[in-house]
Amino acid sequence: MTLRTVLWRLVTWFGLPVVLVAAWWFGSEGSRSFYWPPLTEILRTFTQLWTPERWAADVLPSLGRLAAGYAAAALLGVGIGVAIGLWWRLRAIAEPVLEFFRAIPPPVLVPVIMLFAGIGDGMKIAVIVSGCVWPILLNTVAGVRAIDPIQRDTCAVFATRPLTRLRRLVLPAAAPHIVTGMRQALSIGIILMVISEMFAAHSGLGFAIVQFQRGFEIPEMWSGIILLGLIGVALSGAFALAERRVLAWYHGMRRAEGSR
Amino acid sequence: MTAARLSVHDLAKTYDTGTRQVHAIDKLNFTVEAGELLCVVGPSGCGKTTLLRSIAGLLRPTSGRLEVDGQPVDGTPPGTAVVFQEYGRSLFPWMRVADNIALVLRDNGIRSAERRERVREALDQVGLADTARAYPWQLSGGMQQRVAIARALAYRPRLLLMDEPFAAVDAQTRADLEDLVYRLWRDLGVTIVFITHDIDEAVYLGQRVLVLSAEPARVREEIAIDLPAERDQLATRADPRFIELRTQIQQHIRDSGR
Repeated sequence: MTLRTVLWRLVTWFGLPVVLVAAWWFGSEGSRSFYWPPLTEILRTFTQLWTPERWAADVLPSLGRLAAGYAAAALLGVGIGVAIGLWWRLRAIAEPVLEFFRAIPPPVLVPVIMLFAGIGDGMKIAVIVSGCVWPILLNTVAGVRAIDPIQRDTCAVFATRPLTRLRRLVLPAAAPHIVTGMRQALSIGIILMVISEMFAAHSGLGFAIVQFQRGFEIPEMWSGIILLGLIGVALSGAFALAERRVLAWYHGMRRAEGSR
Repeated sequence: MTAARLSVHDLAKTYDTGTRQVHAIDKLNFTVEAGELLCVVGPSGCGKTTLLRSIAGLLRPTSGRLEVDGQPVDGTPPGTAVVFQEYGRSLFPWMRVADNIALVLRDNGIRSAERRERVREALDQVGLADTARAYPWQLSGGMQQRVAIARALAYRPRLLLMDEPFAAVDAQTRADLEDLVYRLWRDLGVTIVFITHDIDEAVYLGQRVLVLSAEPARVREEIAIDLPAERDQLATRADPRFIELRTQIQQHIRDSGR
């Protein structure tokens, strides 16, 4: 990598964030508005507020519920999606129902889910699952349906067992689609993590932000929102790293096709 | 493992397109002797691929039956390997070359040490010993088709079906691959059904050439290729007998296209 490309990378990654932070910094400097405190004050609050104890009390429970809900949604979405993708009869039966459920905004389901899942962690995880499962499921179906018939024929002729086919053909072939669905689900999951904590919660980031807002602790509220944004950036960064590993073959193939 | 003797009896396949019925093949009868290399040619769109897919058990024929060594078969005859025309699509891009080959051995009771040995041997046979760790998409088209051939060899087939395997590679690569298949066939003695639209290729490779008629495909002619067993891209193709045979086949194809 030349110095030029390194510099260009740095500019593309950090350029806009630096500009936005600077605009906020100078724009809010000396602000006397109660609702728009200066960024310097928000940042000072941030460092004082988000102590390890606070992380353990609010941030980790949120992330734990997100992880549980997201993992369950991935298992359900991929499992059901593979089944629907492989058997057209199942697809014919399931498709109208899927469209119906997909069209319902998950936050609407929070009161409903509370009725049978209570107000504990189970409810919040169920809300995250109910939103995250759809993009994963629908993309998995699309991915499985897009498997090359010649690849299926290859497995059929060489007498591979169903389990081998699932592991060596169906899942890897659908992986680019599945990953796309999981990326969409991740941002939905973060939103639902916060929303589920705004109802009947006693811990979590969403709960903390609502508490600050109700107590007119405005710098604290802003610092919570910033933390939420930073967590989103960190999670999507981690996702991109994982994707690069899992789909290394796919990106390599795309590059090879592009250069031909 | 012994080579298979394949016989095809009254094979027919009709596609229902909704508006009309397409008789792709009809009352097809022929036999491939154990260890024979049979080439099948015919006018384009005459149902050659339908025939191959029916033999491979990938298509259910409308009527008729297949027998291997006198026993009727339903589905893929045991010990059948296929080399598809679309090499780029039959190899799995998420697996390295060695894993692509080992995949077809996995469920056939072959232990991992022997799998590795067979993969190495098969890659050696096609002259690609140093590509085991590469991904298929890092190789040229001709090399990818060699990998597909190596995969079929590692399987130790009794019957090898090849569906226009060299239709998509350049002329020089094609000549190399033809010589490779011919050499492997002579070394291994496997039964091969080689489908092609290229008459020269059929005459060059085949012990016998089956000429199919246009839709519906029937056996129009069977021509024994009485060329010397040693084939050479330059000498064989310049042989007056070669030219005679190819002209004869071309005549049949032209007549059947009418």
